Amino acid sequence: MSLPLKPEFPLALQTGDLAPDCELPDGSRLTELRGRPVVLAFAPDTWDPTLAHQSELFAQLLAEFGSGAAFVDAAADEWHALDCRGELAERFGVVGKRALFLLDEQGIVRWKTVVEPGEDLRPGPVLAALEALHPPTPAAASPATGVLASGLTRRTFVTATLAAAALLLLPGCRTESSDTNEQAATGSADGAGSGNGLLAVTLRINDKNYPLQLDPRVTLLDALREHLHLTGTKKGCDHGQCGACTVHLNGQSALSCLTLAVMSQGQEITTIEGLSTGEALHPMQAAFLKHDAFQCGYCTPGQIMAATALLQDQTTRTGSAVELREAMSGNLCRCAAYPNILAAIQEVQRA
Amino acid sequence: MHPFQYQRADSAEQAVATVTKNPAATFIAGGTSHVDLLKEGVYRPGLLVDVSALPLRQITAHEGGLRIGAGVSNTAAAASAEVRQRYPAVSEALLAGASVQIRNVASMAGNPLQRTRCPYFRDPTQACNKREPGSGCAALEGYNHVHALFGASAACVATHPSDVAVALAALDARVQTLGPKGPRTIAFPELHRLPGTTPHLDTILEHGELITSIDLPAFTGRSHYLKVRERASYAYALVSCAVALEMDGPNIRRARVALGSVAHKPWRATSAEAMLAGQRPTEQLFRAAADAAFAEAKPLKHNAYKVPMGRQLMVRALLETSSLQPLQGPAGTAFAASVGGVAGQVASPR
Ligand SMILES: Cc1cc2nc3c(=O)[nH]c(=O)nc-3n(C[C@H](O)[C@H](O)[C@H](O)COP(=O)(O)OP(=O)(O)OC[C@H]3O[C@@H](n4cnc5c(N)ncnc54)[C@H](O)[C@@H]3O)c2cc1C
Ligand code: SF4
Ligand code: FES
Ligand code: FES
Repeated sequence: MSLPLKPEFPLALQTGDLAPDCELPDGSRLTELRGRPVVLAFAPDTWDPTLAHQSELFAQLLAEFGSGAAFVDAAADEWHALDCRGELAERFGVVGKRALFLLDEQGIVRWKTVVEPGEDLRPGPVLAALEALHPPTPAAASPATGVLASGLTRRTFVTATLAAAALLLLPGCRTESSDTNEQAATGSADGAGSGNGLLAVTLRINDKNYPLQLDPRVTLLDALREHLHLTGTKKGCDHGQCGACTVHLNGQSALSCLTLAVMSQGQEITTIEGLSTGEALHPMQAAFLKHDAFQCGYCTPGQIMAATALLQDQTTRTGSAVELREAMSGNLCRCAAYPNILAAIQEVQRA
Repeated sequence: MHPFQYQRADSAEQAVATVTKNPAATFIAGGTSHVDLLKEGVYRPGLLVDVSALPLRQITAHEGGLRIGAGVSNTAAAASAEVRQRYPAVSEALLAGASVQIRNVASMAGNPLQRTRCPYFRDPTQACNKREPGSGCAALEGYNHVHALFGASAACVATHPSDVAVALAALDARVQTLGPKGPRTIAFPELHRLPGTTPHLDTILEHGELITSIDLPAFTGRSHYLKVRERASYAYALVSCAVALEMDGPNIRRARVALGSVAHKPWRATSAEAMLAGQRPTEQLFRAAADAAFAEAKPLKHNAYKVPMGRQLMVRALLETSSLQPLQGPAGTAFAASVGGVAGQVASPR
């Protein structure tokens, strides 16, 4: 970073420090916000409001805590105001960095996460920082005051949890599975359709249309999980070898990790979220429960999607145990729940 | 993944024109092979032209045989009653490959055009002449247990992994294409090439040449496919064999035998075919033919096991096709094709 740092704030504020008073983008001053928890989030200006689930998440946070906690950064269009190259970032000693500060009711920094430039934000350290705040047991909180053993109010703690969740969703945050997210922000120039390489794609999922701006490299699996937050579909191998990512395309099972999202435009996509009707489970889901057809459950959405599609598969004809095993061989189960999975499918087939 | 642009083709002509004029463009159909290679960094195309929406998804009667559109899914081809009854080797090979999910999406043109499973090819940190011409071949002195017995060169010892390509080679299918210079017909055994000094070229297709259909010629004999793999299902072949047998009374009029996963292309055992013609089928004859087929094998350090395995597999495929031994499952299904049992069921030893 070539930007000079103000000598009076050479280091990022530490936990326990009193936050300096300063003016916030909306014109209010930090000291005016005393009496409620405040979250200050700094990010490079790569905030992308088109990533629908991020805007949604912030809208939810606002709705839930708008009256109490001050999410000065809450709305997507205000996000730029906390640009990490701005003056506020200087005052907090985090110029050029992605950072999150939680101030308690007295304006004291109770929790913070700073990501050095060039580093990837990984969930581990954020969650560890959060863990440090976590009350050891629920009983440690005094019900009368809502004050936790750590000295925080429950509301401050919940705010921190939500803030951490929000931070993890920031563009540039590299969770173990979201490589393509970051790439989407740096897409090829002159991509067909728009200058930033993003394509306007409408996916039809579980009978609803989802308009998205996607880099053509985004797989259907990443579009579902990272862009739409439909996380029922799991990423196992990401190479077509395990079946965890199975969805239906026009009623047939398919691997969402080997399908580019742009290519599935115009198809009816069904995910595990679309199988049940309200609270009523699909018979296959009920049969999996009844037959205890899982242990850890990681492969289960893929198993269920493969199994439900099999009921219509033209190449599976007799439904014998041998045939079902062969037809389900594309779905691996690390917990080896195979006999129970088979029993569940057979029960639905007989019904 | 390297950045690329994406376009959906509206017509075969447009797809061909677009790819022809852009050296960095490639076709993509089901994507089950292509997307993986994009992820591995093996492919770095500038433009993907999606041909999956083209109207090439019909199976129709054609000159006494069948015309299978390039975009027909592996599942749809295997489920076709015509294919299953008249060309069981084709549906057996399809159903013994990959998984239901992959077959539902994989296309009939994409399947034979998938790339080798040589692990060094898929690892951009390794020398590989197929991925990067001139960089060397890590498999030659490396762990080469899945590599070639026949037709290899010092530049590349890879095998072609497609199952259905082996059946199509035995049946002398014909590939219809539309290329920069117009349409042409390619005999399936000529589609793939041997590595020589240019292993980066798998086939004789030109840049921008689109497969439009795969035609199965009229055929009234029996055909069959057998595959050995490291696990009972959802695995590539270690060795495979497709047989197409036409009888003349009690004698073999013409036999065609293609071996899979032993060469850079489906390997027609022509010396064996010549020995079988005009003969009465017996186990002894089949053993002699298999010996002849494998006499030219040149095993590498780790794949010598393929010689006895392939020889035995070929004998068995001939015995089963000529009904001297029963099929181990219904003709046209994965159960007929899988040696060593299917998922969850170990075949009883013979
Ligand atoms: C885990 C796994 C296991 C597998 N196991 C097996 C197996 O046991 N046996 C087996 O045979 N296969 C197996 N496969 C491979 C699978 O069969 C292929 O990936 C599939 O058939 C490719 O078809 P596609 O339509 O998806 O091709 P794509 O991935 O879309 O394309 C493959 C290639 O064909 C080209 N292409 C596509 N259509 C055309 C056209 N019309 N004209 C010209 N070029 C075209 C593309 O440019 C690309 O180079 C496996 C795959 C996976 C991921
Ligand atoms: S065998 Fe062929 S594909 Fe494998 S490393 Fe050598 S050159 Fe590459
Ligand atoms: S995540 Fe798609 S098959 Fe494993
Ligand atoms: S239940 Fe754990 S992987 Fe299948």
